[in-house]
Amino acid sequence: MMQALAMIFTPQLLEATIRLSTPVTLASIGAMVCERTGVTNIAMEGIMLMGAFFAAAVGYATGSPWLGLLGGIAGGMAFSLLFAWAAVTLHINHVVAGAIMNILAFGFTRYFMNVFYHIQGTSPALPVTLHNYKYAVPLLGSLPVIGPAFFNQTPIVYMSLVAVIAWAWILARTRLGLSVLAAGEHPMAYETLGRSVPRIRYFGVLMSGLLCGIAGSFLSIENSNSFTEGMTDGRGFIALAANIAGGWRPLGCFLSSFFFGFVDALQLRVQSSGLLRIPSEIFLVFPYVATIAAVAGLVRGSRPPAAVGKDFTIEGEGD
Amino acid sequence: MKRALVLAIAIAVVLTMSVEAQSAKPLVAMTTDTNGLGDGSFNDGVYAGLKRAEAEGLCTVKVVEAHAMTDYVPNLSGLAEDGAKLVFGVGALMIEQIQEAAKGHPNTYFAGIDHYYGGEIPPNLIGISYREQEAGYLAGIVAGYMTSKYSKNSPLLNGKNVIGAVLGMDIPPVERYLAGYIAGAKSVNPTVDVRYIVTGTFADRAKGKEASIALIDQGADIVMQIAGLTGMGVLDAARERHVFAIGADVDQNAAAPEYVLTSALKGTTISAYKAIKALSDGTLKGGQNIVYGLAEDAIDIAPFHQFDKIVPAEVKDAVAKAKRDIISGKIKVPVSLAELGIKK
Repeated sequence: MMQALAMIFTPQLLEATIRLSTPVTLASIGAMVCERTGVTNIAMEGIMLMGAFFAAAVGYATGSPWLGLLGGIAGGMAFSLLFAWAAVTLHINHVVAGAIMNILAFGFTRYFMNVFYHIQGTSPALPVTLHNYKYAVPLLGSLPVIGPAFFNQTPIVYMSLVAVIAWAWILARTRLGLSVLAAGEHPMAYETLGRSVPRIRYFGVLMSGLLCGIAGSFLSIENSNSFTEGMTDGRGFIALAANIAGGWRPLGCFLSSFFFGFVDALQLRVQSSGLLRIPSEIFLVFPYVATIAAVAGLVRGSRPPAAVGKDFTIEGEGD
Repeated sequence: MKRALVLAIAIAVVLTMSVEAQSAKPLVAMTTDTNGLGDGSFNDGVYAGLKRAEAEGLCTVKVVEAHAMTDYVPNLSGLAEDGAKLVFGVGALMIEQIQEAAKGHPNTYFAGIDHYYGGEIPPNLIGISYREQEAGYLAGIVAGYMTSKYSKNSPLLNGKNVIGAVLGMDIPPVERYLAGYIAGAKSVNPTVDVRYIVTGTFADRAKGKEASIALIDQGADIVMQIAGLTGMGVLDAARERHVFAIGADVDQNAAAPEYVLTSALKGTTISAYKAIKALSDGTLKGGQNIVYGLAEDAIDIAPFHQFDKIVPAEVKDAVAKAKRDIISGKIKVPVSLAELGIKK
């Protein structure tokens, strides 16, 4: 029993947690920014998938995974522009528009696979991936336990940590952050100050496109070496839950993504250790149940931005 | 004038339709499961069987992809209504749906891939299943020898005597592969530690990679994937952590040539082709389950490719002997973990 526990609770568990939570962290920060400006975003799954595809496509075509990352970001942002136009300019219900985006993404990626490569399933493999650019931060990388997990990692993992810290600082200390918060809480007041709610909402959506594009790129060109259809497999929706559980705050998003990743990594290791001989379905459900319990128990004070999901139109004026 | 034009068009349409109906070649159709074409394993395998039959002039072919489980019944029924004489439903997850479609369309043959029906089988329904446990057994023999006795033959092996398997979902074909794998490994290496993880999905590559890394962290140096597209992640982990992977369903060596030792092969193509051939010969019999295995030349393990030199003659001989013994009935390969005494 003790031997099994020693086999499960290792520094590798923390490394696995970081790997599993990185795309979710990035997407949930994206969701946070978007929703803080007042646009409900359930399209993260679709935007991530597009980002994953374009990262792999550009990375394969150019031979450089860094250009692939730019491709993933561009793909994510371009796709999210469609969502911004639908939700902000056309005033389509945000949830409806988001759901359509998810369906579109599956269709587009499958279609592009056929058009670019005449095959389906998995795209051609990149010879060099971002995994080859693993970097150990001097000194910090050698710390026991947290060293390898946080400071000897691949590029996008570092980007996710930077994104959390950056957005925590932006929201707390900058005018941009204040604008983002204000537009989501009281858009009318924001407009009466002479600012533009649609413009900040476009920014919010595009920022979520950027971050989800990076999240998708992690899946296809850092964690793997090509794009596989449907490879996001529900992570966008986990990110949505992580944002809500995190109280629409950067640190909260990080902690809830981290928690979910941790429980998922744990469940895999408990399964293979043979410690608990219970039906595998219980293991598979465990991360989701744990997240619900955590949200119900710990996050009672979670409050969304006051105007999230509400369309903003000025009376008597076109937008 | 207008009425004459409409009448002319109507006659033309009716004539075209009747010409189609008189076409000599039967329409054979298939619906994929939610993974769709390009899964690199059985959707593609069955489709290859249809294409082969089409190339030989036995039939015309139509394929429809499913995106959600709710598509299965509409796809199957729709294809029957389109005039298909034989409709393939691919994947164990549509076992209920195909029975429903078969009852609703008694004049069309339905063939379920990876299906084994209990009870009264409708006369137009055929279950096609495979003895995956035989392929798993052969792969297990290779893994059992290489991880221990011959671990010096490759730097990818660590001599810790642990092997692993990553499963998609816990469904009968997957369990058969695993039961065979464990039995085969233990038959040549009784002390080997076989660990496995169920990921719960056939479409999550990153999860497959994490599951493999969990197994590798716990000492495994050969990991078999029984997980469809999730299994691509097993190959990713093998590539990153420098261990061996074993593929499933088709020869997956091309996806990671320096790390895929062999693959467990399942004859989806040959079984689909044989069913279509029987349809065109008029010998297709419904209301039964057909099971394909080593004896029908539908099960095997893939060649070792660049590892042919490091896999010694003893292992290759053991595999050949096991094939003979399985076909003759001397070895009975278990089909479930319960048979092996493993509680789930």
